[in-house]
Amino acid sequence: MNYTFDFSVLLGNFGPLFEGLQTTLLLALGANVLGLTFGFVVCLMAMASLWFLRLPAKLFIEFFRCTPVLIQVVWFFYCVPILFNVFFDPITMGILALGLNLIAFNAEAYRAGIQAVPKEHHDACVALGLGPWNKTVHVIFPQALRNAIPVLMTNGITILQQSALVAIVAVADLMYAGKMLATDTYRPLEVFTAVAVIYFLMSLPISQVVTFLERRQDASVER
Amino acid sequence: MNMSFEFLRVFSYWDVLLNGLGITLLFTIGAAIVGTLLGFVISLMRVAPSRFIKWPARLYVEFFRGTPMLIQLFWIFFCLPLILGQDIPPYVSVMLSMVLFMAAITSETFRGSLKSISGEQHDACVALGLNFRVKAINVIFPQALLRSIPPLMSNVVSLFKESALISSVGIADLMFVSSNISSSTGRPVEFLTAAAVIYFVVAFPATRLVDLIEKRFLIRFA
Amino acid sequence: MNTEENINEQKAENAIKHQGFLGSKPLVEFKGVTKRFGDTCVMDEMDLQMREDDRLVIIGPSGSGKSTLLRVLMGLEPIDKGEIHFDSKPYVSVDSKGRTQTDLATRSKVGMVFQHYTLFPHLSVLGNMTLSPVKVHGMGRSEAEDRAREYLGRLGMEDKLNSYPGKLSGGQKQRVAIARALMLEPKLMLFDEVTSALDPEMVAEIEKVMLDLAKQKMAMMIVTHDMYFAKKIATESVFIAGGKVVEKCDPEIMFNEPKEERTKDFLNKVLHLK
Ligand SMILES: Nc1ncnc2c1ncn2[C@@H]1O[C@H](COP(=O)(O)OP(=O)(O)OP(=O)(O)O)[C@@H](O)[C@H]1O
Ligand SMILES: [Mg+2]
Repeated sequence: MNYTFDFSVLLGNFGPLFEGLQTTLLLALGANVLGLTFGFVVCLMAMASLWFLRLPAKLFIEFFRCTPVLIQVVWFFYCVPILFNVFFDPITMGILALGLNLIAFNAEAYRAGIQAVPKEHHDACVALGLGPWNKTVHVIFPQALRNAIPVLMTNGITILQQSALVAIVAVADLMYAGKMLATDTYRPLEVFTAVAVIYFLMSLPISQVVTFLERRQDASVER
Repeated sequence: MNMSFEFLRVFSYWDVLLNGLGITLLFTIGAAIVGTLLGFVISLMRVAPSRFIKWPARLYVEFFRGTPMLIQLFWIFFCLPLILGQDIPPYVSVMLSMVLFMAAITSETFRGSLKSISGEQHDACVALGLNFRVKAINVIFPQALLRSIPPLMSNVVSLFKESALISSVGIADLMFVSSNISSSTGRPVEFLTAAAVIYFVVAFPATRLVDLIEKRFLIRFA
Repeated sequence: MNTEENINEQKAENAIKHQGFLGSKPLVEFKGVTKRFGDTCVMDEMDLQMREDDRLVIIGPSGSGKSTLLRVLMGLEPIDKGEIHFDSKPYVSVDSKGRTQTDLATRSKVGMVFQHYTLFPHLSVLGNMTLSPVKVHGMGRSEAEDRAREYLGRLGMEDKLNSYPGKLSGGQKQRVAIARALMLEPKLMLFDEVTSALDPEMVAEIEKVMLDLAKQKMAMMIVTHDMYFAKKIATESVFIAGGKVVEKCDPEIMFNEPKEERTKDFLNKVLHLK
């Protein structure tokens, strides 16, 4: 190895990276807000007994879970303006594209959480004379949410990482800023390493929390 | 909407798209095989008694799971040649990055199934006087492997989807050819949609198959 | 019933032994065994003896350490103090550094059946039964398979030889688990609530298997909540609570006129619940 590192390029150019980081955080945050709220709505639709609610929701979920995020993002950026004749600023587009993906994955996480509530609890609610509303709101949802939280958080980190894809359609996020800086300074090694470390440091605390939660849930199941 | 779409034009590029799919599948399957083997080794390293083996493995997994695959790909594509002081052919660096991605997620899968084998099974091994070798080879591993099959297949589907990224460094996979055709013909709606549908047509049945195996087949043996 | 008679006969014989007419060797001896889980002391300097071809039933309140006692004897749990002798030879002891030493050759003379069967789901019935004899004890495969066939035959299950555990009923699984433990011809069998997870009809099925074993003079230590079965199979019974042996005597005495207040309380509670 005869490469000489020069991490000083980073110090001089921290501004663009920091701006990119802000965009990345905005994208991840926006997508998560969409995903957590509408994900729940889509989950309820997918579990509804009415076919005209259930079918579109299921199709939506399966389609977004079974195609690459990259093609979803590219499709959204190129085709939505043509098809619907609407134009948003790139960040809004990015949030929407990533949000749609996260809605599908979170809907699935909520569904799994609901189905993991033991059947006996449904029966117990009947035995206790709880109506459908009370049963759902006070017994099923709280437990389902508890089951789903680790997966929802993991999905949240995943979308933070997937947000790097918007760099390919020229949204100025952290990845994009890194790419630009690497080309401008001819220092890809330092810049890309720094960018990777920044992404890693953002997801590390959340993934630690997830590990902790999962361990706690495992322990409580054993009892 | 006053646009007209010519979805039929997709069919005149059918062979190009299929070629792209072929490249995508080639990289996916190759990386899946090598990555699974590497992932298995990593999962064993992570349960090793020595921390000099355990910690590097853990760091590797956490890092690859905690960063976007795009940056991993770029790093290997642009930076690794600088470190090695030697050119790396694009298909090699792309393959390497997919293998490392697959190995990281797969090692977690194996570790999960190793951990999921209940304490009672370990007790039964003691009660039957099984030694460590027999316990590992005949009792724990076969069960862990069986339980890993469905999540392993899901990992391959994930890898298949993530493989679209390799288009960004110029590998002519399905994503690459479809976006190329869409810009050269000026018809993104037709060709990007077609590509999405092709990805879906491959991935969706695969996910159904995973479910089927989980519900019908494994329930009997694991 | 033939079995019943036989058992009563044997009980009488054991009673005589008990009074020292026929000397019989001790099989298991706990000597001041202490076992703690963190702050809870589950076995507190416990002393307990069991003679050869005794069938010792262990009763006690939930959480009194019955399972722990069996697990310690199986070598599944380390102990904090004391020692256990098996067949008059040291078996489990604690060394100067506080580590538990278990004699592995002796351990293979003890077999155990668990509440939840713990069959290996990826192996057939035959695979489950022959694994240890073939892989660890160097028995020829065909010999092991013959023996497995014979044992399963005795339990009326030859036809399930190639089935997988997932396809068996609870009672069938537990029979296979018993047969699997017997394959190694242990000198002592431990049963920890082996009928607790079963439907009532299957309980009778498993109890019959255990009574048959009793007829063949197998030494057994049995933890059960079924006091009627306990009375039927036991040649000796012990009540444990608070980490100590509270009372150890003939089952006739234990279940009819126990001496200790705590035993009386416990038996009153469980027998009246029935
Ligand atoms: N692995 C463990 N870690 C910590 N505490 C334990 C463990 N195993 C058992 N204990 C504690 O030791 C005590 C005795 O447990 P044990 O399972 O031996 O009781 P038991 O008599 O078999 O009860 P039951 O009739 O309910 O089966 C209990 O207080 C239990 O909480
Ligand atoms: Mg118990």
